[in-house]
Formats: sequence, C-alpha cells, structure tokens
Amino acid sequence: MKRVAAVVSLLSLAAVTVTACSSTSTGGSSAGGGVFTTIDGFKPGLDVNGPINPWNPKGNMFQGYNAMKLGWKKNHLTDPNQFYPGIAASWEIAPDNSSITLHLQPNNKWSDGTPVTAEDVKLSIALAYTQGSTAFSVDPGAAGAASDVEIIDDHTVKISQDMSNPSVTFVRGVMDSFVVPAHIWKDAVPANFWDTLKAARGEGAEAEKARAEITAQADKVLAFAPAKDVSAGPFTLERMNPGEALLVKNKNFYNAANVGPDQVKLLNYTGNEQIWNYLISGKLDNAPFTAVPADVMKRIGQTPGNAVVKGFSPVSVAMAFNQSKKPYDNVHVRRGLAYLINRDEITKIASPEGGTPALTTTGIHQKPAEAWLGSELSELEPYKLDVAKAEKEFKEAGLKKTGGKWTLPDGKPWKFTINVPAPFSDWVSAAKAVTSQLNEAGVSAEVLTSADYPLYLSELAAGKYDVGFWLVALGPAPYNIYQRLYGASNGWSILGGKIKHSAPGKDGNWMGSPETIDVKGVGKVNPGELTGKLNTAPESEQKAIISQLAKAANQDLPVIQLWDYVNTQFINTNRFTGFPENESDLLRETSGVWIQLGMIKKK
Amino acid sequence: MTATTIMPEARSASATLRRNFWRGVWRVMKRKPSRMAGVVIMAGFAFMGVFGPMFYPEHLPRDTSALYAPPSWAHPFGTDFEGTDVLALVITGSRYVLLTGLVTAVITVVLGAGIGLFAGFRRGRWDSVLMRITDMKLTIPGLPLMLVLSTIWKFTSAIEMGLVLGLLGWGGVARAVRSQTLSLRERGFVEAARGLGLSTPHIIGRELLPSMAPYIAMNMLIAVTGAVYAQVGLFFLGVLPFEANNWGVMLNLAVFGGGALTTTAALPYLLAPLLAILLLTLGIVLVVDAMDEIFNPRLREE
Repeated sequence: MKRVAAVVSLLSLAAVTVTACSSTSTGGSSAGGGVFTTIDGFKPGLDVNGPINPWNPKGNMFQGYNAMKLGWKKNHLTDPNQFYPGIAASWEIAPDNSSITLHLQPNNKWSDGTPVTAEDVKLSIALAYTQGSTAFSVDPGAAGAASDVEIIDDHTVKISQDMSNPSVTFVRGVMDSFVVPAHIWKDAVPANFWDTLKAARGEGAEAEKARAEITAQADKVLAFAPAKDVSAGPFTLERMNPGEALLVKNKNFYNAANVGPDQVKLLNYTGNEQIWNYLISGKLDNAPFTAVPADVMKRIGQTPGNAVVKGFSPVSVAMAFNQSKKPYDNVHVRRGLAYLINRDEITKIASPEGGTPALTTTGIHQKPAEAWLGSELSELEPYKLDVAKAEKEFKEAGLKKTGGKWTLPDGKPWKFTINVPAPFSDWVSAAKAVTSQLNEAGVSAEVLTSADYPLYLSELAAGKYDVGFWLVALGPAPYNIYQRLYGASNGWSILGGKIKHSAPGKDGNWMGSPETIDVKGVGKVNPGELTGKLNTAPESEQKAIISQLAKAANQDLPVIQLWDYVNTQFINTNRFTGFPENESDLLRETSGVWIQLGMIKKK
Repeated sequence: MTATTIMPEARSASATLRRNFWRGVWRVMKRKPSRMAGVVIMAGFAFMGVFGPMFYPEHLPRDTSALYAPPSWAHPFGTDFEGTDVLALVITGSRYVLLTGLVTAVITVVLGAGIGLFAGFRRGRWDSVLMRITDMKLTIPGLPLMLVLSTIWKFTSAIEMGLVLGLLGWGGVARAVRSQTLSLRERGFVEAARGLGLSTPHIIGRELLPSMAPYIAMNMLIAVTGAVYAQVGLFFLGVLPFEANNWGVMLNLAVFGGGALTTTAALPYLLAPLLAILLLTLGIVLVVDAMDEIFNPRLREE
C-alpha cells in the first residue's frame, strides 16, 4: 500500500533513515564500519531488474548512497538556496541570481578511479534537459531555466540563468541535479546535443523541431542501463535481490575517510506495515517519515535502541474546493465549512504522530508562517470551531436549514462530497472524520475514494470533484508554496515571463478562484500575479507579498488547511551514533547524506 | 407412513406430501443440531440486514476520546479510528453486503439455470452458441476485471455491485445445469411427457426444473458467499468507494490505518467483520448440508 509518505518523498521532501544492522546479517562482512540497514523512502518496492540510472523511477540508484547530486537541499524555513555540499564542494551565486559557479570536490573520483570533472557535470545537465527539470528545461514558458553551461576549468562550471524569465528557484533547480559519469553515459545523448539545445532556444519551426528532438531523447535516457554501478557517492551497488539491495563503501569517494559504515543494506518494502515490522524487530536504526498509528508507535518505542527524531517538513494537507461547482463558489459557504471543521480532532484521528493541527489557513506551514508573517499571523482569522459563526456564514450564502439539514438556496439537497485517494489511509480517516463533523452539524457529507493517487490527481485536474485533499505549503521557496494555491491548478501560469490567467475548466484550472480578491486592509489583489512576482522579487519584497497572499488565502479560503506534517523519523542507537538531532535540517535528506557528510559512526 | 400409501384423492395427497416434506425437513434438522444453528445464523443475518440499520441513527455516534477503544460492555468489539462502535458498523454495514450477495445469487442462478436449461434441452445450434458464450465468459478473470471496472464505475449501490458480480458469476452454473439437463432429458419421464404432447415450457418448468431445484438452490447459497468474498475483497483492496461501515473497508482500515496485524489496539476492529463473514459462511454451509440431505433421497434413507 502506498502512503502519504510516498507522496512526500516524491516531492523530495522526506528524508530516509539509515539503520544499523546486526553484524550477523551479512556473514561477518560487517567487521570494521559495520552494515547500515535502512529503507529508501523514494523507492517503495525494489526492482532487481531496474537499471542503474538515477532518472528512472525504478532505477537502482539511491539518493545519498550511490546517487549524487550537485548539492543537498537544506529546505531552510525561508531561504530555498541553502545546501550541503555534494558533487559541488562550494558555489558562488551571482547577487541577481543570474548565475551560479560551481567548484567541484577537488579530489573526488568515480568508483572506477576516473576523476570527477566538469565534463561529467555538463553531460549530466544535458541528460537532465531530456527529462526536463526546473533549471534545465526546453519549455519556452519555463521560469528559472538555464541559458548557458560553461566549463571554466576541470573543476569549475558556470551555469547562467535565462534572465528573460527568471526565478529565484533557479539555483535550487541547478543544485538539485544528479551527476553521472560522462565516460559511461556519453552515448546516452547524441554528440550534437548542445547544438540542438541552442536551436531549441530560438523561435519558429526550427526551434520547435529541436525541442521535440530533445524531449524525444527522454525515454532513451530513462532506459539507459550501465552494466555496473560507477558512483561518486559514498557507496556503490554491489548486488540486489528482491528483498534488499547491498551497497559497499566506495574507497574513491572524496570523504571516504569519514564514511562510517562499510556497507549499507536497503530493505524492500511495499507498504507501511512492513516498515512498522522492521522497526519493531529493531532491524532499522532509522526510517524516513512513515505514517504510524499511535499504538504501533508505542510498540516501536519498546524496542531497545529505538528513538524518534522530529523535524520540520514543508508540507501541509488541505481540503481544496472546486469553485466552478456550486455552492463552493460562495466564499461564505467555504468559511462556514471552515468554522465547522475541528482541526485538532481531525489531526488526532488521522495523523496523531505525523502532524500538528493547522493554526489557520495561510497556505504556508505554520513554522515558516511564523518566520514570514511574524505578528501578522495572529491577526488572521483562526477559524476555530464555531457553529454559530458557521450558521451565520451559511445564511449569508443563502443556504437554508430545513429539518436540521442545510440545503442549497433553491431548497435542493446539498451533498458535500470529499474525494481522497484510497491508498492514503490517513487522508481517508481524515476525510471520514470531516464528514462525521459536518453531518453532526447538519451538512450532509460523504467520502468518495479513488483507486490510486495518479488517477485521483488526473480526475481532480479534470474538475470532476467538488472537494478534494490537496498538498499545500510545499516550501521553502515562497513561489513554490503559493503556486499550490494560486498556480496552474487555479488558472495562473507563467508564460515567457508573463502571468497568464485561464478561465476555470481550461488549461488545468480546476480550483476556479476569482481572478481578483478584495482583501480586507489590502485592497483588490490578483493573487496569481502576486505569486508570480515571488519568482523574481528580492527577499526584501517577498515578505510584503507573502503577507498579502496569506491574508487573501485566509479570507478567501481556496482551501481549508487541515494539518501541517511533522517529519517524524525513527532511529536506533544500538549500533551507530551521530544521528541528526530534533529539528535538524538534515532530517530532510536521506541518511546517505548523513553518512557522506561523515556524521554516522559505529558505536 | 401409512398416509403416503393410502392417497384417497389428489388434493389431500399433495397436502400430505407437503406435510411429509416438512416433517422430513424437521427430521433432517433434528438429526444434526448444527443444521439448526445454520438456520438460526442465516435468519439472524437476514434480520440484521433488513432491520439492523433501523436500530441506529443515520450517522453513528462517535466518541473521539476513545479511539480504538478495547472491547467493553458498551462496545463489545471496541471502537474504530474515530471512536465509533465497531459492532454498530458491522450491523449497519450488513445490509450492503447481504443485498449484494442476494442480487448476485439471484442473477447467477436465473441466468445460469436459464441458459443451462435452454441450451441443454434444445441442443444443436443454440447449445453451441450459448456454450461458446459461456466458455468465453468463463475465461474472463473476475477480480482483475473488477479492478479495472472500479476505476470508472463507483459501485455506490449494492444492486450495481451485485449486478456486476452476478454477470461475472453465472458461467459455472450454466455449464453444470446444461450437463444435468442433457442427462435428464433422456430419462423415461421426460420421454413420457413428450409422448403425452406436453409443451416445452411445461417439460422444462414442471419436469426438468424440479429435479434440479435442489442443486440450483444450493448454488444460489454458495453464490452468496462468493459474492461476499468478492466484494469484501475489493473494498479491502481499497479500489471501491469508501463506506465506513463496509466490512471490507473496515478490514482495510484496521490493517493499513490501525496496524491490526502489528499491534493489538485495532485487532477487535479487524476481527468483527471477519467474524461476521465467518459466521455467514458457516450458516450457509450448514444450511447447504441440510438441504443436501433433504433433497437427496439416498442420504435421507440412511
């Protein structure tokens, strides 16, 4: 069974845990640094036949272990451009964000002994273009895309941003890129790639053709399967079976001297229950965010050595409205509903260990909200449970109460239907609890589930649902946070540096908010344009924009924020030490990153 | 039994036969008390499905201070993830499950027996065409098809669900009824009926069908269990819409949401619907056992 943790990790926001394994498990090979046993939060279900390819979703490259990025994101509360070193040892960002110059680790070698050079980085960027990433995209509308990749010397690369359509997320997009060995991967893209890319940046039919040529490479790159793992990470893949992947220490890794464990074992799992059982048996010293029922949590805690570390996770879950559907186009209906939902109770039922009830709806996780909004946060309407206020709002919306049930203004019955993907048990529980609360208040409510998450997202985008669960506050970049409320799914997209608004039901606009909102104390604002501005605005201006957007979201309620996720991870200190503490920003990276930074040591 | 041998006039003879039949039923029931238990269980489930939900309010009460509460007098099977009584969920959920089972069974039997009888009695071209269709239907794997169907069809009513399960399940019955018909139509009494110039509907309805009625009735009951397993399975897999009191959804939430297979807190929540399914199956098996003896003279004589 898939789970919310899987979504969270897909959004590259969850961290993975490293677990020390008992020394008996691999026939004495654990002498020395020992064997870490863990799971990869990004890879539910190991595939023995998967290629050794970081871009392939079923590929057997594991982030932080044998898959390396230029840098590792800290996901700082407010600054998206903070990283831990990866392939890049240091970097300089131009003051206007127009370029980033990377200095590679000086003595880094691939596991086959070949040095890691700027050529590797350049080829990896070419490969990233075929997949289309934030910074490396041939989509003419993409903001924050690179315009030039220049090799300064063997260990220095300069990447410039296309300033006609800039974004503050450019640097983050660059750093969040995988690096693979050019001598292995050189045949995965055609030799004339950079010429094609140059042509693709132009306009007209020629450029169109070039762009198509580049994206046509995507499948070839995804299928590319090197015969053996050549890694610049702390480990290389030794062997796999359906139950686990075994990785051994890469002696050529730049920080090999400080890498604690000799081996890492990644266990297979397909559902939360397996992870719970691994934890109860003490196999895992550390597991990434996993939804855990309270009683199972207690049981995990009884295993000697097990402990819980908690940190910030820039994800919140909300109930989003399709405002093309009546009566959800009426703000009073949305507010009335917000007053009827007891978020404390919902969180207690659905995510007691992995969430905290949202303070109110701002579109931001409460921790960065405090940092961005300061005292303004307390001035926002908290939407505490208040039946009287809800009744007032519903009456203002023209709804009628007959026989204890609310009906639409024309007297027709009103059925509040919440959609959730069936595999996410915490969302299902939450949706059920919401309907129970609403039913008690006279709003006839029901839950409908979709068979899986991709189907759910496609039906949501197609405007088939009235109300659905929706991840918001995906920080730390403020633009990323607010584009969940006022982005493409609500009609605003950035095309060629300009904000364009599409009518509800068109171009993926399923939320259907009004184009402008009259915000109390601010005046008329276009929230999509404000969100777009976050892409380019300097930090000093961002605060003011975020304040306006938070007020708009709080007043207009395109979504009702339910709870903010807490990055709850498990560690076992029986065999290894040096785990990140509570609130460490490293909890948002895999334990492979903890190991490569030299933190984890054998006890 | 002297009454059966005297036979003064036709009307009293049929009344006597009926009386004897029920006496025979009673005797069969008495011989093994477990059969009585089976009847009681089935009657209990029928009562639960028809009247059970009437004992509870439309929206079941919750006690959010007692999530996954252990079994107690107030909550014999504890409470679920939001503090709702599990027993109340099982009882209110029985209507959907049983109605689906019933609809499935009726469709399976009506279609299966109808097609089987017709094909077996008419033989020739009709037989070939209908049996090829049956064969084709038998090759369609039910569960994968349901999984695919569930992505486009939400099965919100028990009748829809029963209809689909019934349409997927009649193949085996049709095949078996056809072979029975093929064998019976060559018997003397059918020959005699034909010789008397009785119509085809009369021969099928009055001569063939009664001989096969017990077999069909037993198949109907077994189809109920099949339908219960199939739909509970689909809900358990989470591919069908959410209904908190659906037995399959309860199993799903107990295992994946409550960790019932890992710790004990959600165990009663898991066991309650399982027990209900087990009891229902047991009741049906016991009744089928009794029916077997009632309708099979050879077993009855022992």
